[in-house]
Amino acid sequence: MGIHKLITILCALIVALHVDARPISYSGGSTLMYKSNDMQDSLYAHYSPTYKYSIGIEKVDGKLFDEDQTHFRFVYLLNRKNTKLSQRNLYFQSGISLNNNDSSFYGVHGDWETRRLFSGFGYKVMQNNITEDYSDQYLQLGVAPYLGDYGDLHTWIMIKTKKNSLTKSRSTYPVLKFFKGNALVELGYNDKTEWDLHLVYRF
Amino acid sequence: MNRVLLMFLFISPLAWASDVAETHDHSHEGHLHETMVDGKNLDVNPERFDKFMEGLTEVNVAMVSVRGMVCDFCARGIEKTFLKDKNVLKIDVDLDSGKVMIAYSKSKEINLDEIKKKILSNGQNVSDIQVLKV
Repeated sequence: MGIHKLITILCALIVALHVDARPISYSGGSTLMYKSNDMQDSLYAHYSPTYKYSIGIEKVDGKLFDEDQTHFRFVYLLNRKNTKLSQRNLYFQSGISLNNNDSSFYGVHGDWETRRLFSGFGYKVMQNNITEDYSDQYLQLGVAPYLGDYGDLHTWIMIKTKKNSLTKSRSTYPVLKFFKGNALVELGYNDKTEWDLHLVYRF
Repeated sequence: MNRVLLMFLFISPLAWASDVAETHDHSHEGHLHETMVDGKNLDVNPERFDKFMEGLTEVNVAMVSVRGMVCDFCARGIEKTFLKDKNVLKIDVDLDSGKVMIAYSKSKEINLDEIKKKILSNGQNVSDIQVLKV
């Protein structure tokens, strides 16, 4: 296996595990997420027994080399601060492959948002039996151009920058997020990876 | 890239400062404010309240102030949780004011702890509850 192919597979895995939109629902709530880009499609379903943690399964279909992965994921809310005008969250996240290839990950990610502003970050350490441990990190900032009422179509204009320690690559790109009711759509465009699509539905 | 980092560094302290300031606010949590339906003591948008009350008679209304209700997508669970109660006739979520109005059937005795628990199960906190008997 060539080094470029190996790196490409690892990048696909990194992106597959990088699902960060509200990893925990309300108590008893379930969420379905679909993500697609030029390297992979992934489907992630999670259930939240309480608002403090969620468990889920993620199925990843790689597009380039036809590799499939299934992960068991666990997310725990370490800290939340609610105020009248804002909410701040800090999550612990982890995952383990069910494909017997010793791959796993753990990390933290957090966000702070008001109705107008959003900021978020994530740091994740990846482990497997192919290469040394490496990390994946991102920062995301956003602003809502208007404030909709409950039930309206809501829009966020965001910018995201992410970095990977294995490939030593960094990319920064704009993201548009729309949500209405229980459905959310996120679109990102990067001249390196082209379109990213992220769909979320909360039951 | 440097600009992005600078923006983040600039915004983050504001977030923490906002949280700290909020902790000094006086909390009415746990207080029950019985109010007649004359509108004088209602801490709510009158037009929104009138619209909410359209078609409702013989109800008890809980007006709940919620902390952390800043996102429509994240507030969905509040509506779903309360509507599971067959005594809940109608619910209104106001993101601007951070208030939730819940209309209960007259036979239902409003339980403040139950409301707080349901809001908490969605990950938010109650800061105040007013009850109206209509």
